[in-house]
Amino acid sequence: MAYPSMGEAHRRITDYLNKFCDAVSYQDVASLAQLFSFSSNSPSLLSLADVLNFFQDANRLIKQSDKFSQFGEILAPLFRSLQSYRLGNLVEAYHAFEKFANAFIQEFRNWESAWALEALYVIAYEIRVLAERADRELSSNGKSPEKLKGAGSFLMKVFGVLAGKGPKRVGALYVTCQLFKIYFKLGTVHLCRSVIRSIETARIFDFEEFPRRDKVTYMYYTGRLEVFNENFPAADHKLSYALTHCNPLREANIRMILKYLIPVKLSLGILPKTCLLEKYNLLEYNDVVKALKRGDLRLLRHALQEHEDQFLRSGVYLVLEKLELQVYQRLVKKIYFIQKQKDPSKAHQLKLEVIVKALKWLEMDMDLDEV
Amino acid sequence: MDDSSRRLQQRRNQPSFSSSSSTGPTRFRSQNFSTNPTKTTQSSNSVPRSNFTTATTPNNTRNPGHIRNRKSETYDGISQQQEEQEAREDVGSIIGTCPFMCPDGERAQRGRLRDLAVFERLHGDPRKTSPSLAVKKFCRTISVKHVQASDVRPLAVLEDTLNYLLNLLDSSEHPFEVVHDFIFDRTRSIRQDLSMQHIVNDRAICMYEKMVKFHVISHQRLRNCTSSSISSLQYLNMEQLTKALASLYVLYEANRNNNFVYENEAQFRSFYVLLHLDSKNQQMEESLSYWFRNVPSPVMKSKEMHFARQVLRFYRMGNYKRFLCTVSSEASYLQYCIIEPNVNEELDVESLCHACGLKITSDDGKNKSLPTKQTTFSIPKGSLQSYELVGLQQ
Repeated sequence: MAYPSMGEAHRRITDYLNKFCDAVSYQDVASLAQLFSFSSNSPSLLSLADVLNFFQDANRLIKQSDKFSQFGEILAPLFRSLQSYRLGNLVEAYHAFEKFANAFIQEFRNWESAWALEALYVIAYEIRVLAERADRELSSNGKSPEKLKGAGSFLMKVFGVLAGKGPKRVGALYVTCQLFKIYFKLGTVHLCRSVIRSIETARIFDFEEFPRRDKVTYMYYTGRLEVFNENFPAADHKLSYALTHCNPLREANIRMILKYLIPVKLSLGILPKTCLLEKYNLLEYNDVVKALKRGDLRLLRHALQEHEDQFLRSGVYLVLEKLELQVYQRLVKKIYFIQKQKDPSKAHQLKLEVIVKALKWLEMDMDLDEV
Repeated sequence: MDDSSRRLQQRRNQPSFSSSSSTGPTRFRSQNFSTNPTKTTQSSNSVPRSNFTTATTPNNTRNPGHIRNRKSETYDGISQQQEEQEAREDVGSIIGTCPFMCPDGERAQRGRLRDLAVFERLHGDPRKTSPSLAVKKFCRTISVKHVQASDVRPLAVLEDTLNYLLNLLDSSEHPFEVVHDFIFDRTRSIRQDLSMQHIVNDRAICMYEKMVKFHVISHQRLRNCTSSSISSLQYLNMEQLTKALASLYVLYEANRNNNFVYENEAQFRSFYVLLHLDSKNQQMEESLSYWFRNVPSPVMKSKEMHFARQVLRFYRMGNYKRFLCTVSSEASYLQYCIIEPNVNEELDVESLCHACGLKITSDDGKNKSLPTKQTTFSIPKGSLQSYELVGLQQ
């Protein structure tokens, strides 16, 4: 990298500072948000970071002019964070970013309108992602990873700032979804409960007012929670909502929703078409569906075993296990139909031995008592 | 040494960190670790709960912009939760020095106040005890900041105390409820001492396993007791069982090295699954599906887990024949202790009769009989549970 001259560095930094202050003055949220979207790794941000690391005296520049120094508490940690980020010190970057974010929230609270919400979203996203990376760095150094937890605390604060009567309240759902992602990652899913309660019972929130994208994400996560708790009607309702309102072009998201919706639908007796499974690459359910159609217990058990790790990880294993009952029903029904064809007069009585035989053929060893 | 690195020391528990250069009170836990756990755990006597106290209302903003200036610069802008956690960690790394099962001060005081359990009394005298009899009581409202090292028992003493307590289980002098109550309380105090000192190594694992075992055995034995306070004892026992189990799992994870699985881990994990047999058990906060996600794969594939999952499946599907067969052929003693209440439920011929509207008469003794030729037979309302009447011929 060609090192700039001091004059050039001075100019670049002042440039950025001007962009920041102008964005605030003109309430230009798009420009503002770009200025701290680290994860975008935009060339301009990265080269600014290099310049800062070279120049090392940006604070003086900030203090020099009133225009910049009014945002000094915000800008100074932002620069520090960017510098650390560029140097690969993610833990330092996270600390400074949190400081920046705190200062930003203070200003944000003073702005009456909700013009800066998109910028706030960027901050919420960045802080989560930075925390995740910081935790990875901590773990690899043998230390205990707790930055993501801290990010969660911070976002709860942000939630509190947004949870008021003003126009800013529509941002609360986005923050909620970031919190969900954190809790799911940390394995502290029970913490979702209190946030959910706030969203669903507080009078200031009207669910329909929230942006569609956030509603879909929210329903996806709460739907997954219902799957964990085996409340299938509720899970069906929420995941279906997410599916119908999800942008059809977002195939990856649709796949994620379907991954959980399919087992729920299966347990309600609704089978997906094979082409659906193929389209979204969810072929692990293929054999399960076949087993249900055929009443083939052996196939069901085999399918569960083959994809056991995957199903356990996503939390749908127990749901699929329960399908066994439906498979039995199907099998018995089929036997009934066959018997009916052979001898309609005796059809309503099924000899248990017949069932034992059918099961044996499926390699299911059961004696009469069990049947 | 400046403050920020002192804080780092407390977080890391690698014994290789040299203690010679520390100033001030030695707060190293390195002497407690014989293995090399590479991660600090949450010291907890309970489920890994995060420090979220703000989670109750979103309006509880608590001055978000206020930057608290703590000792070290790197921690500016820290949220209150993090602060609290750090405060806890700061003060929490005590090293106990009490050489007895009960600190001197407490022993003297309880003697004066006649607050001595039967097992602690010297020759049955409620005012006299001795260092070999008195055991530290569980104290709910303990503020870690004010605890003195001389009141806390170090690991070796705790191990001896636990073994002493568990030996009392065999005593037949007193009814089981009394024995249980005493051990229940005193082991809780042991867990408290362990967590105050952040002891999280494999010796702690061993102790927790023993304590869980105690609760499991109590779970079974309390059912045969007849005193009036039994159901609350049972409830509390279940509560501590689940708490201790949860802490044990945290310990397993904290000490995990390269997919290593502890000798008894599979069995102790299987208990969690078996506890779900009782669908009315509200202590199970976390859904089983969710819990499975965090169980390491080799444990999931173990025969104990396999057994527990099978048994749960059979039970939930109503396949009581397989349930009973599997249980009788494969359950370990401890597993059976947990399962037993559900076995007896399903063998309840009485309830079947009641459900069908039949009357049962009983003579003076314990014999109940079902009179023949009753005309009140009706199909039971609601879903017909499958009653496995084991022992009846076809």
